Amino acid sequence: MDIHEYQAKKILNNFGVLIPKGRIAYTPLEAQKIAEKSSGSGMVVKAQIHSSDRLNGHFIEKSAGIGGGIRFAGTPQEVGSQAKAMLGATLVTSQTSPKGKTVSKVYVEEFCDCRKTFYFAMTINRTAARIELRLGNIEKETPKIQHDSFFTIPLETAEVTYQETLKGAEYLGVEAAKFHQFIAGVLQSFIKSEAIMIEINPAGVMPNGDIIALDAKMVLDDAALFRHKELSRLIDEDEITPLKRRAAINGFVYHEYDGYIGCIVNGDGLALAMKGLLKDDTACTLNLKGGVDRDKIAAGIKLIATNAKVEGIIINIIGGFLRCDLIADGIIDAAAEVGMNVPLVVRLEGTNSLEARNILNHSGLNFLMCETTLEAVQKILIAAREAG
Amino acid sequence: MAVLINKNTKIMVQGITGTQASFHIKRSIDYGTNIVCGVTPGKGGITHLGVPVFDSVKEAYNKTQADTTILFVPGTSVKAATMESLEAGIKLIVCISNNVPVHDMLFIRNALKKTDTVFIGPETPGIITPDEARLGIFPLNLFSRGKIGILSRSSTLTYEAVLAVNKAGFGQSSVIGLGDGMIIGMDFVKSLELLCQDDETQAIVMIGQQYGEFEEEGAKWYKSQKSRKPVICYIAGSDVDENGHTIEYPLKNKLQFMRDCGIIVADELPQIYEKLISLDLK
Repeated sequence: MDIHEYQAKKILNNFGVLIPKGRIAYTPLEAQKIAEKSSGSGMVVKAQIHSSDRLNGHFIEKSAGIGGGIRFAGTPQEVGSQAKAMLGATLVTSQTSPKGKTVSKVYVEEFCDCRKTFYFAMTINRTAARIELRLGNIEKETPKIQHDSFFTIPLETAEVTYQETLKGAEYLGVEAAKFHQFIAGVLQSFIKSEAIMIEINPAGVMPNGDIIALDAKMVLDDAALFRHKELSRLIDEDEITPLKRRAAINGFVYHEYDGYIGCIVNGDGLALAMKGLLKDDTACTLNLKGGVDRDKIAAGIKLIATNAKVEGIIINIIGGFLRCDLIADGIIDAAAEVGMNVPLVVRLEGTNSLEARNILNHSGLNFLMCETTLEAVQKILIAAREAG
Repeated sequence: MAVLINKNTKIMVQGITGTQASFHIKRSIDYGTNIVCGVTPGKGGITHLGVPVFDSVKEAYNKTQADTTILFVPGTSVKAATMESLEAGIKLIVCISNNVPVHDMLFIRNALKKTDTVFIGPETPGIITPDEARLGIFPLNLFSRGKIGILSRSSTLTYEAVLAVNKAGFGQSSVIGLGDGMIIGMDFVKSLELLCQDDETQAIVMIGQQYGEFEEEGAKWYKSQKSRKPVICYIAGSDVDENGHTIEYPLKNKLQFMRDCGIIVADELPQIYEKLISLDLK
């Protein structure tokens, strides 16, 4: 689960990481009031959407003016007007889709004059099964970090050692004691929140040598949220498209593309393999995962069958955990409720596939049965072309 | 010879009384798998699917000597179930459970370092030695004993690989689902090594994932070997993300790395079959 900068900063600060003073605002007036109460020399107004590189982004609406999703303001009035420009407008960054994301809140924080900034991330090395630090010096001339030029420090245990700190401090040219304190705080946040990734880009060195998180991005482990009720509340439903949300309610994974063929599969691997074969013709993939509930499966199929972009549907299931007879029942339930108005190709293999074929053959439903993934892809493209 | 499990392997099932476990374990028993007992805390003393159920792994192990276990417990209980198995001296753990917290897997991987126990998964469809033992949720009637070993980090695509092997007329020596999880136990290095040492296996199909470097680690090991069996690799993935932006480490770079290590790459799913029939096997 992704969370916002202001939420991540609050977690980091709870574990002792320094952050600039700031508050969240939903209206220009709120933003201005925050600035009025501040004693800082200047303020930063930051659009809160789930994306990095907001500084270099742009807004679709002319009313938002020139400039990205992070703007500097001298006076409270300026803070108010920058907030007004951004709130309700659509921000496009190098990480969002070209459609961008609507900004519904801004974070107003005190400007922090740092003599040096650097890239800092804490991630999990999957193969070694350990936590790692990734560091990068940010050069004034080329502020963008090259992802292959990180300085990586593996952390051997859940407590950062002074040796590990020293290596990083030397590389960055920062004070070791201050850096140690900074890493320890981030590491505590990482472990206690069961994060998968924390990125602080940039971190800054203040005139007194203190290290401060100027930005923060944090990804939490969905599977661990049951242990962290307070963190699961940080979800921002506006960040998830309605279809993805409807899929997620049933435990499914939905991906959308620009084509016209909808795919219902079980397994992320199979979804990607179908995408590989259908290429630009893929409208969406829905991964039913191990779903074992007839009603939920029907809900998933309805999601695709009622998608206006979809001109043909492939249901490609190789059942292990997921039983094919439940898929067949789900197809019939969905068709009875919303109809199947586009060509349907079905490939069912694995657990209870014979029962499933029997159920479908006696349903009176119009569909093509296929034996392989390749055949299903070829047949649906022909069928969709003929129907269109 | 069979890898990891054969018809004599004594197997216990943790979480045996659950609905899914009951459905799949019954099929495994019918397949001829030597399931000897189950563990469900609080249900010790009953008989389920014809085998005794115990309250703890230790008790089950002491009474039956089953040194292989399959986890059908909820993802949230995997850490505790695994620690219990390690303490009891279990040698092979196959973890079917999904939604295992990542930090729990970090903990488990660390605990495994101090033992020689093999942990497979999480989120694995299991492992199967055709005609001998089925340990997991694999569909039946899909497998036939033969000379191709299959290793996979994608449950569903494992079945696609099996179907491709069948179509090519070869059959499987052993099929090992390494697990779909972000952090897995047994990796490609260890599993490639097992299959390379297995006389019955003449070639290997390897299904990877785009993220994580398990495939690269396996490929590096493979490159370092003197005599090598052919390995065909398929990885489902993309060079761009959902929003059309180029991914930091695109799939094509990963596949090129595999090629450079001497591995045969199937660019699309149907090519697994094409590459298989082009092999010159005994």
